Amino acid sequence: MDDLFGEEIVRAEALKKTFTLSRKQQKIEKTTLTRKVAVDGLSFSAYRGEIYGLLGPNGAGKTTTLRILSTLIGADEGDAWIMGHSVRKEPAEVRDRIGFLTSELKLEGFFTPDYLFDFFGAMHGVEKSVLAARKQELFSRFGIGSFAQVKVGDLSTGMKQKVSLVISIVHDPDVVIFDEPTNGLDVLTAKVVTDFLAELKAMGKSILLSTHIFSLAEKLCDRVGIIIDGKMIEDGALAALCGGKPLEEKFFEIYRGVKGEIL
Amino acid sequence: MKIVALMKKEFHRFFHDPRLIVTILLPGLLIFLLYFFMGSMIHSESGREMRVYLSGDSAIVDFLGQQIEGRGDKVEWIPLENEEEARAEIKEGKATAILTFTKDFDLFGEDARVGLVYDSGSETGSYFYSLATSVLISVGMRFPIDVQTVQEGGNVGMEILTSILPFLVVTFVFSACMSVTLESVAGEKERGTLATILATSVKRSHIAIGKIVPLSCIAAIGAASSFFGVIFSLPKLMGIGFDVLFAGSYGFLSYFMFFLLILSVVPLIVSAIAAVSALAHTMKEASGYTGVIMIVVMVLSFVSLAADGLGSWAVAVPVLNAVISMGNILSGELVLWQALVSVGANLLYAALLVWLIARMLSSERVMFGK
Ligand SMILES: Nc1ncnc2c1ncn2[C@@H]1O[C@H](COP(=O)(O)OP(=O)(O)OP(=O)(O)O)[C@@H](O)[C@H]1O
Ligand SMILES: [Mg+2]
Repeated sequence: MDDLFGEEIVRAEALKKTFTLSRKQQKIEKTTLTRKVAVDGLSFSAYRGEIYGLLGPNGAGKTTTLRILSTLIGADEGDAWIMGHSVRKEPAEVRDRIGFLTSELKLEGFFTPDYLFDFFGAMHGVEKSVLAARKQELFSRFGIGSFAQVKVGDLSTGMKQKVSLVISIVHDPDVVIFDEPTNGLDVLTAKVVTDFLAELKAMGKSILLSTHIFSLAEKLCDRVGIIIDGKMIEDGALAALCGGKPLEEKFFEIYRGVKGEIL
Repeated sequence: MKIVALMKKEFHRFFHDPRLIVTILLPGLLIFLLYFFMGSMIHSESGREMRVYLSGDSAIVDFLGQQIEGRGDKVEWIPLENEEEARAEIKEGKATAILTFTKDFDLFGEDARVGLVYDSGSETGSYFYSLATSVLISVGMRFPIDVQTVQEGGNVGMEILTSILPFLVVTFVFSACMSVTLESVAGEKERGTLATILATSVKRSHIAIGKIVPLSCIAAIGAASSFFGVIFSLPKLMGIGFDVLFAGSYGFLSYFMFFLLILSVVPLIVSAIAAVSALAHTMKEASGYTGVIMIVVMVLSFVSLAADGLGSWAVAVPVLNAVISMGNILSGELVLWQALVSVGANLLYAALLVWLIARMLSSERVMFGK
């Protein structure tokens, strides 16, 4: 049974994104095609206070979808709305309402967490007094205080990740979009991230994440969508979608249904 | 104020990094040391004995004499009787120069002319030449000196070093602009820190302005350092005193315009390098493109040396316009409207480039294309 739907926070409608492949990319992808459809008519909705997980194998189009939703790149067709604002027509409105975290977005190693927090606060137009209070709260909550004045470049991967997390929500966004939150992190750092996500959910944020780690999805997500080859194959509340089976088993079932067999 | 925060960040980045400060200030210091020692080597000795043939007379001769003797050299003025013989003596090294003034010489008269014959291959001759020209310019001469050398190859040496100054200035300005801009724009794009800013709601035009304005200020500091490096070493290089170099004739307006011209070139070059940096995927690629810009800038600033008397259309050509006006100022022929239009034109081009950069920052293909 699906849960009762809450307020719709994210709505994607028939998103399509095609990349033109360069010679070099053709070689890497082992193809002679000059165009690659990364996202192919994708639609889904995510609801307030929930964690929505986009699940799919490598190259399924998860990152591309999240980049479209966070207005970093534009869709060729279709549109998406974040809290009612179109990513196509009101990108600035969308940017102020989301926190986007992906390995593509880096913090300059020269600056301290303290400086960068203030800087990105200013970029989002957060008022100074609000910003100072928020900094104090978030830094103590996530244990950043002790290295707030150390250059980001000198921090450990785990510390850096914490700083990125905190800075992504400097403007208190209602929606947090998170691409592969635990990718490349050791168990301890990964735990920092998953705890953070749980914490955000407790704060009432809506979260959209992508992953190919089923255990993570099972632990965190309220709702998942399974993407294969840029298409949304199935989505719904986690329990309803799995129907009592482990998520991984359900995924293989779906994958077999689409692709015939597993490689 | 998002744009203020953007600008502050660039300044903070620069002023808290000793390495960057050194990179910016070092060229000026190096130029100074290099020129200073070159000058010391060329003009090491005093106690020269000069014999100068003189035709016509002017109070300038006395002033020139004081300048020479004040530096520990001696000069003997000999009335010119036979020019052929005098030239022969210069060739043989028995005389230093022939200095001729038109009859009833009036510095500001219509038909006032000064002629100078010397041996550009002789140290004493070159020294006399640079001192005499500097003195003439410093007392307010507004026409070219008719200079001849008894050497076959024409004038070489000091003269080139002074006429090449605008070119040198542009070169130094370029190097100052290059180091900061590549690091800040191409570097940030390559490292993915620019993308983090693009993910916020700040206006793309503000990002562009927030880069160009502070980077131009920082590059201007570097340019000023190079400029003063040249200015302070020039007297030593030419073997003349500051009093001669800075004597009243150039006047405040000339110095001011000279500096304004330099300042107008800075944002232009910064935004040109920033534009190619935004296009490039890596710092390496960006420095490749910057090399092309450098060649264009060098050519533009050299054209004015090679081709004299370009039409006034040249004020519309970026960089070239500034070099021409700087050259005019150095030879005491500042044309105010030309200098002002040049400054305006350069700033206009810079503004156009900033607009272009803002467009590029909004372009997915430029910012996130692979
Ligand atoms: N800028 C680009 N240019 C060309 N092709 C691209 C580009 N970005 C993504 N693609 C291609 O689009 C497809 C989807 O990529 P995407 O990164 O969205 O997948 P993903 O689901 O995030 O995969 P992964 O799990 O590996 O991160 C892939 O085949 C990828 O090669
Ligand atoms: Mg991905």
